Amino acid sequence: MTLPPPPEFKPRAAWRNDVVAYLLVAPPLLLMILLIFLPALQSIVRTVTLDIDGAPAGLTLARYAAFFEDPISRSNLLFTFQITLLTLAAIFAFCFPLSIYLRFNTGRVAAAVQILALFPLFVPGIILAYALIRFLGTRGTLDTILSVIGFTGYRTPYLKPQAIVFALLWESIPFTVLVLTAGLRQIGDSLIESARDVGANNWQIFWRIILPQITRPVLIVFSLNFLGIFGSYTLPYLLGPAAPQMMGVFMAQTFGQYRRPDDAETQAVITFLIASVVGFLYVRTVASQRSEREDL
Amino acid sequence: MTTIRTEGTSFWASTMRSFAATVRRDGFGWLALVVLILMILGPLYSVVLWAFAERWQYPSLIPTEFGLRFWEQTFARADIAKALPFSIFLSVTVTLLSAVICLPAAYAFARIKFRGRQLLLLSFLATNAFPRFGLYISIAVIFFRLNLVGTVQGVILIQLINTLLLMIWIPTAAFQGVDRALEEAGLDVGASRFRVFTRITLPMVMPALSAALLLTFVNTFYEAQGALLIGLPRVVTMPVLMYSLINSQLVTQYGAIVSLVLWAPSLILLIVAQRLLRGGYLTAGFGV
Repeated sequence: MTLPPPPEFKPRAAWRNDVVAYLLVAPPLLLMILLIFLPALQSIVRTVTLDIDGAPAGLTLARYAAFFEDPISRSNLLFTFQITLLTLAAIFAFCFPLSIYLRFNTGRVAAAVQILALFPLFVPGIILAYALIRFLGTRGTLDTILSVIGFTGYRTPYLKPQAIVFALLWESIPFTVLVLTAGLRQIGDSLIESARDVGANNWQIFWRIILPQITRPVLIVFSLNFLGIFGSYTLPYLLGPAAPQMMGVFMAQTFGQYRRPDDAETQAVITFLIASVVGFLYVRTVASQRSEREDL
Repeated sequence: MTTIRTEGTSFWASTMRSFAATVRRDGFGWLALVVLILMILGPLYSVVLWAFAERWQYPSLIPTEFGLRFWEQTFARADIAKALPFSIFLSVTVTLLSAVICLPAAYAFARIKFRGRQLLLLSFLATNAFPRFGLYISIAVIFFRLNLVGTVQGVILIQLINTLLLMIWIPTAAFQGVDRALEEAGLDVGASRFRVFTRITLPMVMPALSAALLLTFVNTFYEAQGALLIGLPRVVTMPVLMYSLINSQLVTQYGAIVSLVLWAPSLILLIVAQRLLRGGYLTAGFGV
């Protein structure tokens, strides 16, 4: 015999349930609307309704025209693109072999490789910037090591685009390796063994078996790294050249030093619009991954 | 004499032989190891040694003279003495506020089947879907008009954004994982709902909640870009101070010492890293 359920557990009317839930989720939702959607939307509206001098002007593209007529703005945007694509290529070239190695190998060397690959997770960006200046700079640690083994003529990448790429790669190794190895672990050993049994070589196994199974992790790694690099500030500001600048550095300068918030806003909206495709891709990939998990 | 030497050489020879064999067997692993040691540990090596260097002349692999003289000087600086406690206060405040705002929502997301639940939960991914610094500029333009630039409130608000996804997604998954049968068993034997929550539900979600709190605290402590844009000139956190220490570079040691001190919260993370990794919390902030 079972006891009658306690009164609190009586199924409530559906609408009452909904109201309680909405009240509970309202605070963070409001915060997000006020601090993300509203500022972004307002910036977008302002860039198409304000003239270059800041006066209301109906519907106008004057601010965008001014941005694209300015050679400095154009070269900064192009530079941001170049750094983003170059860094993404470096991330995949570096992390893909590493992740595959970690998926198929155990033992002490693999364990040490994994620890080192995850270590940047525990080094915040601002400390990394300082550390890389001491490491890569002229007469820094790398310069010293090379001169001790007899190589002179080291040319530092510090304050050059290469330093930005190296720093951004450094920072994204742990996340990329974590997501890729997690994806690779979903592929069973038996699948790969049976492919090998019918005579597939390593290259075919990678292209035909492994890659199609991890499109989702690859998309997540691609989109989040793209957004992270495209919207970065600290590392390009502290390690990169004074010109051209990445968009984050450019915006900060326009806003803070030149005191032209309206122009900074136009620059920000241009990065929103460009990154929106990738942002959408990221949200859609995570959403489809979750809906699949919930079905299980 | 001769026997000893022969034994010695053969010992070394066999060690070298077996070492060479492992390198051959796991060539890629060793290559990766060497590259990673140089690339990951190299920069950290520089920072740690600079913090304890009195003088370091090129081209020496270690400081020419060790010493702690600069530690005293660093902490005697008024800006550092003021920024460190303030940074801790700010991170604690943001973390607690985030918990108060997000945890009830996480409970609702996990336990109540309401319309639009999945969509609203996914909407928090928006915090990652914008290029971060562009978003900060947008917010700064509004804060500028609201006179929130240079205020603690402004910095708290902008730092709260980065905490939402983590503080909602990790606890939601944890509350979903609690076995409802256990709670119902508690209610069946006459425990009050409050008692069931504190004695059964809470202990089961505690590991996930502490992970969310810890990660939020550490992320907030190191948040530099929002604080730099919104906080200056009046509100200065430790990471913001690092920018000027790096840019002015009068004394190399200041930056190194502050870096080491700033590292402390990350070292706590490192100690519990295995548990964070096993729980999948380390990537939770990215929505994966």
